[in-house]
Amino acid sequence: MNTFAARRIRNLGIVAVAAILLIWFSGVMTTALRDTARASGWGLFAMICFLAAYSLRKKLPFLPLGASSRWLQLHIYVGLLTAVVFGIHIGWRVPNGLVELLLATLYGFVFVSGVVGLFLSRSLARRLTTRGEEVLFERIPIYRKRLEAKVESIVFEGLEASQSTAVAQFYADRLRHFFSQNRNFWQHLVHSNRSRFALLKEMQAYGLYLNDPEREMMTRLVTCVEAKDDLDYQFSLQATLKYWLFLHVPLTYALLVIALLHLLLVTAFAGGIS
Amino acid sequence: MPTFESIQRPERWAVPFSREMTDADVDRLLTIEPFASVDPTRFRGTVTLRGILKNDTRLVRYRPGDIVVRQGDWGNSAFLVVTGNVHVELGSAANLPNEILGRQPVRRKSLFQIIAQLWANSADPEVRDVAAYRDDPRIGTRGSGEQTRIYLQDVSTVLSKYQTAKLEAGQFFGESAALGRTPRSATVFAERPTELLEIRWQGLRDLMRRDDALQKHIDAVFRDRALKWFLMNTPIFQHLDAEEINVLVTEAKFETHGQYDWVGSFKRLAKQGIDTDLQHEPLIAEEGNHTNGVIIVRSGLARLSRRYEHGHRTIGYLTPGQIFGMDEIIDGWLGKTPKPLANSLRAIGIANVVTIPTHLIEKLLLEKSDRRHLTRRGGPKTDPLASRAKIDTTRINSDFVEFLVENRYVNGTATMLIDMDRCTRCDDCVRACASTHDNNPRFLRNGPIQNNIMVAHACMHCEDPVCMIECPTGAIHRDLEGGQVVINDQTCIGCSVCANNCPYNAIRMVEIRHRDGDFIRDDKKHAPIVKATKCDLCSDQIGGPACQSACPHDALIRMDMRDVQQLTDWYTR
Repeated sequence: MNTFAARRIRNLGIVAVAAILLIWFSGVMTTALRDTARASGWGLFAMICFLAAYSLRKKLPFLPLGASSRWLQLHIYVGLLTAVVFGIHIGWRVPNGLVELLLATLYGFVFVSGVVGLFLSRSLARRLTTRGEEVLFERIPIYRKRLEAKVESIVFEGLEASQSTAVAQFYADRLRHFFSQNRNFWQHLVHSNRSRFALLKEMQAYGLYLNDPEREMMTRLVTCVEAKDDLDYQFSLQATLKYWLFLHVPLTYALLVIALLHLLLVTAFAGGIS
Repeated sequence: MPTFESIQRPERWAVPFSREMTDADVDRLLTIEPFASVDPTRFRGTVTLRGILKNDTRLVRYRPGDIVVRQGDWGNSAFLVVTGNVHVELGSAANLPNEILGRQPVRRKSLFQIIAQLWANSADPEVRDVAAYRDDPRIGTRGSGEQTRIYLQDVSTVLSKYQTAKLEAGQFFGESAALGRTPRSATVFAERPTELLEIRWQGLRDLMRRDDALQKHIDAVFRDRALKWFLMNTPIFQHLDAEEINVLVTEAKFETHGQYDWVGSFKRLAKQGIDTDLQHEPLIAEEGNHTNGVIIVRSGLARLSRRYEHGHRTIGYLTPGQIFGMDEIIDGWLGKTPKPLANSLRAIGIANVVTIPTHLIEKLLLEKSDRRHLTRRGGPKTDPLASRAKIDTTRINSDFVEFLVENRYVNGTATMLIDMDRCTRCDDCVRACASTHDNNPRFLRNGPIQNNIMVAHACMHCEDPVCMIECPTGAIHRDLEGGQVVINDQTCIGCSVCANNCPYNAIRMVEIRHRDGDFIRDDKKHAPIVKATKCDLCSDQIGGPACQSACPHDALIRMDMRDVQQLTDWYTR
């Protein structure tokens, strides 16, 4: 069976076996009073360099370096394995030196941001297909502007037709702010419809006090509100999918720099019995 | 009373092949063979011989060396030599090099050139090196606009170096490709000033229907040249000897279903959405009917459907080389009682099919086969008797199959499918495409979505590449090595015929620029030079399609839609 589920089970199995072997081997070495920190440190550094190399691979799509999806699979599972190697390296305790603490913290952030990113990539992509039309991220501001203009034209046309400012007033009080920017970022991210329902309910309630032409206008505005909310949903999820890397990648580079410093210090102060 | 706008009902010859055909031309043609011998009384009703000659043909004059058709070109017309002569390249020893035919052989970039894309890509869009259009002395072009022709600059050398056959006045060529909707099998060029009568497919069909001699002549040529080769290369007949193949060739029935120019009607139908009545698709064989023989698709596409409630449910599609009706014949033969057809077969757009009568299948295939093998057929993937056209609708939703077939995406040999459940919209695919094409992405990550699968606006490298029909210089062509449809930028004249013909909006016309960012203009009108651009499947790169290999989430694939198994496996990952 060549499914994603089968691939996930296989890869997780390999990582689990490798982790058990590494922990067992490190235990054996420690019992034999051998220095495991040096080997695990170099191993960890090599693994982190390999993980960082994925970013380079992405910048060289024209080179036959293997499919990016294969690299990502390796990136994910080697990344998971680094947690075990890192644990072995620090002896499963919180480091006490300043540089070491900084290094461990950075590693923690990179690891967690990677895991969160993986979760987001797998969950948000699927959720994007559940609401609104498929839109290109870069075009969302254009669509939002168009919607805003459409709503304004409905309101201005309605002013003449209904001879009343009721809808225009509602627009000025409640809708202009909503249409002027992308809204409800965090609510969309956690899949909450609370604001959307609240606004629609408010519009429905307001409709009770309107005359027929105004109610017809309000119905058109409801459609626009739904479309804008869907657009916000797309923006929120697509922005998160794009921008989480802006956390993960710089942190990785910072980690590499501090790791190099750590390596220099360790090498410089490496003493021992000659 | 409702008001409506009215127009004159479009008729068969509302748009003639050429508006330059005069009555004097027609009179002259009626005095020469084969038209002089045609009995005009065989033509009844509105379709007259004069009408065909006036509206379905055009006289084209060629100068010495002018290339009429190239091997691998697609065209919808046949030619009759009126005066002068042409040479058909036989290609037995060596073929004319691509360069002098106006084709750019796909050259893979060296490793250094590939790495240099890191810093050498242009900052402006669609930058070209002007010298590339001027400096190739091997390509001769003359004429302008859609009349532009590529010509051989030294005909005598070509004639002495390559083996050719001379066709004189009164001889036809190009009829097999026109009728079979297959690529031209040979390159033809004029030796001296030559006048050819180009007959479009519809006219040729009508002439054949009404003139027995012409029908016999073209039928014989087609059976001898094209059908024989096709049957010999069909897997179920590959073990037959020459004599048995000849029997097949003699008794095979060849039919064309659908419209040659299906693109226009397709664009109209596409706006109406999926139609499960399938009334617009010509029926090739109907479910429940008696099996007359095995139907083999020679070119085009066919839909496999079964009655379902008040409509028809699509259960698969046939691409060239696939067979229909074999299961029923085998089951009938094994059970000694004829079996009716389990499914219907309809032409999608156009389909050229060859029917081999049941008695020949029984005699040449079944009687020689092991009964146990026939009972267990379909097991191994290589079994030629197995039907590979059906889609396992327990694994793929039937509405997705309907969507693919109705929109003719099954025409693609490299259709870009994106699984939107996995796509994170990171645009790595677009960036990779741009990086490998001098910063010009050759597709849009946009397109219709069904069952969360997007068919992106990218060239599908179609099985039936309608974009190639009518290209005046043959700039858009199928690479004979890799099979991908590519455009020779050097010989593209920017006429937009390919872009207008493409039913999937996959070809873009672009204005080209100098490296300094200014538009390159023609030396007379100073209008910007326009070129057709599209996905070339990264044929000059060493890593294959960059879009697919750049996708981190296994969301994007270039799918060969002929491979139903691959499609099913990918869909159900």
